[in-house]
Formats: sequence, structure tokens, C-alpha cells
Amino acid sequence: MTLRRIVAATVIASLAIATFPWLLSDFALSLALTCVMYAGLTVSWAMFSGATNYLSLATAAFFGIGAYVTAWGLGTLPYAVLVPAGGLLAAAFAALIGAAILHLRGAYFAVLTFGLGELVRHAITYFEKTYAHTVGRVLTDTPESVTVFLTVLVVAAAAVVTAFAVRASRFGLALAGIGSDESRAETLGVNARRVKIAGFALSAFFAGALGAAMAVRWTYIEPNSVFNPFIGFQTVLIAMVGGASTIVGPLAASVVFSLLTEFLRLQFPYLFLMLLGVLLILLVLYLPGGLASIWPLLRARFARGDARA
Amino acid sequence: MSLWIELAVSGLITGGIYAVVALGLNLQYGLMRIMNISHGEFLMLGAYLTWLAYTVLAVNPLVFLPAVAVLMFLVGLAVHRVCFRPIARRAPSVEAFEARSLLVGFGLMFLVQNAAYLAWGADLRGYSFLDDPVEFAGVRFTENRLVVFGFAVAASLAMIAVLRYTLIGKAVRAMMQSPSGAQLVGVDTAVLHPVVFGAGLALAAVAGALLSMVYEVSPSMGEPYTVTALIVITLGGLGSAVGCLVGGLLLGLVESFGMHFATPSLKMLLSYGVFIAVLLARPKGLFAR
Repeated sequence: MTLRRIVAATVIASLAIATFPWLLSDFALSLALTCVMYAGLTVSWAMFSGATNYLSLATAAFFGIGAYVTAWGLGTLPYAVLVPAGGLLAAAFAALIGAAILHLRGAYFAVLTFGLGELVRHAITYFEKTYAHTVGRVLTDTPESVTVFLTVLVVAAAAVVTAFAVRASRFGLALAGIGSDESRAETLGVNARRVKIAGFALSAFFAGALGAAMAVRWTYIEPNSVFNPFIGFQTVLIAMVGGASTIVGPLAASVVFSLLTEFLRLQFPYLFLMLLGVLLILLVLYLPGGLASIWPLLRARFARGDARA
Repeated sequence: MSLWIELAVSGLITGGIYAVVALGLNLQYGLMRIMNISHGEFLMLGAYLTWLAYTVLAVNPLVFLPAVAVLMFLVGLAVHRVCFRPIARRAPSVEAFEARSLLVGFGLMFLVQNAAYLAWGADLRGYSFLDDPVEFAGVRFTENRLVVFGFAVAASLAMIAVLRYTLIGKAVRAMMQSPSGAQLVGVDTAVLHPVVFGAGLALAAVAGALLSMVYEVSPSMGEPYTVTALIVITLGGLGSAVGCLVGGLLLGLVESFGMHFATPSLKMLLSYGVFIAVLLARPKGLFAR
């Protein structure tokens, strides 16, 4: 498929989903919102980490930064300004820390990004306690749930389109080149440092914008709920289940997983998380390429069958 | 003056625990490139087992210590066989192995932590053991804290001695310096890897058992210690056992003084700050030459 067709398909799909607020019940709509949010988070995560093999656990940090932009700005600035502002602040933060830590590879990078998320969470908790004398913030004048749904949908659709566009571009090739062999990519003229920082910031933009858009869903915002590490893990897990090097895989997995989470987590919280752990282990052991890697395998098997017949 | 001594001693006591936890993780990552993010969960298991043994069977925690270590060593052998050995066989490169074993670590973390929630609930559990106060250098401490410090330092020193003087310790160090070179001279990875992984978990469990004598036990207690262990490894340098001990004690002191002179809520901020600063300025550790 050419890029133009993909954009058209995404727009049509988004328009179809945009009718949900008028078709679904409140409960089903909130489920759909979770699905769309995770689709956006996962695709934007895979855009950088799936391509470069730099395992980032900072999604929760970017999401939380975006959410706090809304929490601080709501009432003085319009919602439509806060969402991109949250994305931009998250992207700026990502660029800043990316410049400092993107020379580290492997587990160190993963753990450091996780640590940074915690650092931001503790820093905001401390800041709020000392200067605002509060732990959480109550959000008033929140926009209608239809507005929130459509906004999240627009951000997620933009993430999907951007992911496809990046993949088709020189920039995307450079990211993938860094993923398969960073020093060879550099020999071939890729400015690895600049490409990595730009990719990291781009991916953070969408996570931040989604955080800013979703913040109004909770009437009470506190660091522990919006910097929930679970958001980051869930994002990575969904992307890995779907196949982090593809775009359609994570999209499909995010729908399945959000539904599963919403139903099981409320009823069996501990058992659900245990199951998630076992699933993660099994997946890494037996299907490291994710669900998306089944498809080419099947196709190859059928093709071989045809040739023999 | 006595305030300074009190801060220093309490910093050294937590630092001693940090050193033991970090030593286990350092062995796992330094030798096998397994960044075992579930390390702290096995610390939590060690703490719960000790608490159970004391409250149900009335076993002295110090007597139970070797049992916890042996038990977790066996658990470590099993975990390595089921999870990490297959990954090592199938991973196309060291980097892929690192990423995959990290994810498996997260899976183990979810599994063990929530199993503990399911089994024992979210309540804080504790027992009192040797909590009479004693005078030491003009400051009063409970006995158990001093015992914990003594055992933590003894465990660290024992591990350092094993690494330095025994044949298996020499094999481990050879493996860290040059994996293929060590294999050429006859070091068997099929034996050494599971044993070292098990030893790492045993150290975590010992730290947990010691902690349970002083602090309360909960299913989520392990996670902060994993992060702290990482910070200590970064401070002390990858693969360095002595660096671990010094780095652990140092971090304990930094936290203790930092918490007193700033505010307690700054504790994690301080640890992460140290971690990031060291990673940026001296990525090979404070004591690297």
C-alpha cells in the first residue's frame, strides 16, 4: 500500500470510530476510549523503540507530564491548546534527557528511562507539596466526554499516520538502521545521535498529548495515578505482543488487551497481573517477534504447500 | 556530635543491606547480562518466608537465615533453567538477549509480586525480634539493627572472599573478563551460570530476611530495592564486588544525611539524582581507573 492509501484508510477508520459517542453506551464508550488511548501510546512507542531496539520505559513519564500540563493549565487555557502543549513539553523533556542518555544501550537505557519516570513523579510530588501545598488537584470545568473522545481519537490517528509516514521516509530508514547495527548506520552517513533524539522526542510528543487529553477524564489528578508505571508496562507489553517492529500488530493487540484489562483487572486484580506476567514470559520465550510474526510464517507455509501441489 | 554519629550509623546499616542486594544483582548482570528486574521480589520472598517461619513455627530468624538462602538458591536454579537458559540459546545477539531477559524479568516481577498479594494480602506484616535498645558510641540503637548490619557486612565480605580466593570465584571472575577465553581454559558455563544466578537470588533473600527483623514486610517492598541495587552497581562499577560494598554503604550514608538535612520525601529523588549523575559523569563507576 502506498502512503496515500494508508492515510486514507486511517482517516476512514477514524471517521467510523468518531461516530461511537452517538452509538455506544457510556460504559462501552469508556472502553473504546481506553482502546484508542492504548493504540496511540503503543504505536508511538513502537515508532521509536520498535525501530531502534532502544527499550524505553519512559512512556508513563511522558504521559504524566502531559497530564500535569492539563492539570496546571485547565481554567486559564483552552483544552485545544493544552493538548498540543502537553505533547510539546513531553517532547522537549524527551529531547533533553535523550541528549543525555541515548548513548547508553541495552538494559541500562531501559532502567534509566524507568528511573527517570520515577524521578519526574517524585519531583512533581515534592514540588506540589512544597509550593502548592497539595498532593493532588481537582479538575473543574472539564470538557464533555464527546470532546475528550474525539480529541484522543485525533491524537491517536495522527500517531498512526505519523508512524506510517516515518517508516516510509529516510528518517525511518535511519531509525531502523540504528536498530539493526548502529555503527554500520553511522558509517553509512546517519547522524545517529540526532536521529535518535528526534525519534525519541517525536514518540514522546504523542504520549504527552495523549496524557494531556486523557487527564480531564479523571476529576482528581495526583502523581501516583498519572505516572502509574502500569501505563508504561502495558504499552511495552502490547507492542511486544503485537510485534514491535510492525504498526498493525500493536494496533490490533491494543484493542484486545484494553478490553481484556478492563474486564479482568476489576474482577481479579492480582490474578490478572500474574497472568500478564506469565503471558509476557511465554511470549518472550516462544514468540519473540510478537503476533505479527505469525502472519509471514503462515503465508510462507501456504506458499510452500501451493508449490508442492 | 551524637546526631552525626546516629545519622552515620543508620546510614551504614541501610547501606549494608543495599550492598548485599546489589552484590546479587551485580553477579547476575556482570556474568550473564541478565538485568534481573525481579531481583527485589526475591528479597520480598525471603522476608515473607522469615516472617512466616518466626510467626508460625517460632523459628529464630538468624537460625533460619541459611535455610532461606539455600531455598532461594534452588529457586534460582529452577528460574534460570525455565526462563533464562532457553533465551540464551535462542537469542541471536547479546543485545537481543539483554532486551528479552529484561522483559522476562518484568514478567517474573508481575508474577511473584501479585502471587504474594494473593497469598498474604496488602497489609504490612512484622514481628519484634531483639528490639531492646543498646548504647553504642553514645547513641542508642536497637540490637536487631546492629545484628542486621553485622550480618549484611559479613555476607558481603564472605561473597568477596569467595570470588577472590576460591576456584569457582576465580572462574566467575575469568568469565566476566573474557567469556570465550574462560571457556577455552575449561570453565563450564552450563554449570556456572545457573549457580551464579542462584547465588544472586540467595543473597537477595538473605537481605530480605535481615530486613524483616527491622522493618515491616509487604508485597511491594522489593521493587525499590531493585532500583537501589542498580544505583549501587552503577556507583561501584559493573562486576566489582568491593565496589558494591563501598557503593552500598556510600549510598546509605547519602540517603541518611540527605533525608535529615533536606526532607524525607526527597529520599528517592536523591537516589535517582545520584544514579543519573554518576551514569552521566562516570558511566564505569566511581572507582574505575
